[in-house]
Amino acid sequence: MHAIQQQYWAVRDYLSPVLKESKFREHGRITPEEFVAAGDFLAYKFPVWSWEAGDASKAREYLPANKQYMVTRGVPCLRRATSLAYTDADEDAERLLSFGDSAAAGTEADEWVETHAGRRTNTDSDANPRIIDDIPDLDGPHEDDGFSAAAANLSLSETPDLDDIPDMEEDLEDGDDAAAAPSKVPPPPRKPSDATKEEVTNANLLSVRTYDVMITYDKYYQTPRIWLLGYDENGTPLVPEQIFQDVTAEHAFKTVTIEAFPHSASLQAASVHPCKHASVMRKLIERMNAGVVEEQKSQRKGGSKDNKKKWLFKRGSGSGKDDKQPAGEEEEVEGMRVDFYLVVFLKFIASIVPTIEVDSTAAF
Amino acid sequence: MTVVQFAQFSSLVQPTFWHELSRVKLDVLRLSDDSVPLTATYSTGRTIKDRNTGQDVPLGCNISVGGESFSEDYSPPPNSITARGVLKNYNTIEEFKNADKRALFNKLSDEIWDSIIQNHDVAALTRFLLITFADLKKYKFYYWFAFPAFAAQPLWEIDDDWTTPEAHLSQDQLTSLAEQLSPTPPPFFLVRPAQDNTVETAPVNEFSTFFADVPQQSQTIGFLDPSAQASAPGWPLRNLLAYLRAVHPEATQTVRVLCWRGDAASSRIGVLRGGPVDADKPSAVGWEKNVQGKLGARVADLAPMMDPKRLADQAV
Repeated sequence: MHAIQQQYWAVRDYLSPVLKESKFREHGRITPEEFVAAGDFLAYKFPVWSWEAGDASKAREYLPANKQYMVTRGVPCLRRATSLAYTDADEDAERLLSFGDSAAAGTEADEWVETHAGRRTNTDSDANPRIIDDIPDLDGPHEDDGFSAAAANLSLSETPDLDDIPDMEEDLEDGDDAAAAPSKVPPPPRKPSDATKEEVTNANLLSVRTYDVMITYDKYYQTPRIWLLGYDENGTPLVPEQIFQDVTAEHAFKTVTIEAFPHSASLQAASVHPCKHASVMRKLIERMNAGVVEEQKSQRKGGSKDNKKKWLFKRGSGSGKDDKQPAGEEEEVEGMRVDFYLVVFLKFIASIVPTIEVDSTAAF
Repeated sequence: MTVVQFAQFSSLVQPTFWHELSRVKLDVLRLSDDSVPLTATYSTGRTIKDRNTGQDVPLGCNISVGGESFSEDYSPPPNSITARGVLKNYNTIEEFKNADKRALFNKLSDEIWDSIIQNHDVAALTRFLLITFADLKKYKFYYWFAFPAFAAQPLWEIDDDWTTPEAHLSQDQLTSLAEQLSPTPPPFFLVRPAQDNTVETAPVNEFSTFFADVPQQSQTIGFLDPSAQASAPGWPLRNLLAYLRAVHPEATQTVRVLCWRGDAASSRIGVLRGGPVDADKPSAVGWEKNVQGKLGARVADLAPMMDPKRLADQAV
């Protein structure tokens, strides 16, 4: 069934026309050109992001050959989203309130920072002890209900391998013996004098998962689409059940699914389904746009052109919007540029995968 | 004086690597178990601020391979270093278990040593070995990495602890250094002070000429450090130190080492003493430990992400 569905999606994707007209402010959708412009901006501003060509046979002709999708590797994920989920109903409401407050209070930049700050303080104030409790769980077997099955699965699949390994270990310990004496001291985790400190570092290291995050352009939905490949602290790839632990409960198993990555012949990755992206993005852009226009106007009046946020609407000339605008005051109040689209998109994604630090743009 | 401890490389295998290995195994290698050249990449060590506790958490000292590791003309992503290695894929789990790992390891460490002694070549200092068995029907991959590093005898010791580079270099010098390293940092480099409070850098094989008129306390040896731990430099430094002791024994009784971690604030600097006195080939270490912390193979079970049946099950 799933295979048929995927075929259907592939055909639908093939048949749907490439969006030509810029509609990002009206519908939250973007054209491939705007995707490239926004991607260039993201890579320029935040060099952890870079363009990839992907599998040449899977290249989309409406995107430049060397700019098929964006990727950032090794995005850290310190704790599970399930640990945030405990701070449920009332706190979420609080968060929304503070969001509203800050929006009323002032500029768009504050508003965005506030959103994140709001969530942070919420978890800090109330859930902090509980979160600290949670950390040991991550090292040991996962006890979280709903995922215990997955965890059991895991340990089962790991035990037989343990049987395989001892032979090998004996085999090599012998081989390593000549070098064993010096090797005992240099690697940090072996040093007794360092014991207390090392424990701390190790404890921290152990709970850190990392993700490779990809952004592709979805031709059918005309929005960017996010893909996740996870690794645990040992670099072992995460299974789908483990990835869903890092997705907020509202989205796991619903909008986040494992699907074929479009720019590889065989790779499967977790992806946030883009069917609602356009409308969410439209709302976010509207909100931000109001702030940006406001700021641009006040800036215009004040004449303080050296504002440090200048790049936000002055830089770049790739988008069609820019060409249509006559120079002068009109341009100054054009609102949020499409270059900024992916930055906003990442903030939206950060709400779905709160513990994966995809949003390296928090400063803006 | 404390003994210098090094953060060992930990391997990070992207799923695309296993996909590509499956393809190579089926289409190219078939039943052959010849060595295949590979390219891995590492970049500067990173720390992440834990938003709940405010602590800086160091991330692992990662070296990663991906699908593109098999291609000959692989260009690394910006700000990362490539390391060359060999892949040996076995046809059965028994062959994999019984492989003469010591011979493979020694062969590679001999190659590294020869390149040091004969060519004075720093490009080949960071090498790796990967042995694998691919259970293609079950989508399970058994693998074991080795990152040969020469063990110094006597051990290297550090005068004080590792500190931030401001202790030895001025702000302006660090800015100038960061500029020179920014687009494509070299894995290893030399630094000496220059006019106008700036610095000059040079490749390590120009050691004698570059440092000819520079007093010892102004010489700095730098490397791009994949470790993020405050007092443990990354694995590549071990072979660099072995190189320096072997090629320039008289000038490297004491070395000032800069662990470059992408920017001045997170980098570390320290003055090291000791190291081997004779020019014999030191013994090498570096098999990666498995998840249980023992010397042993690891397994990547990709069935949940590759097996069409399992994927169909969870897609509801």
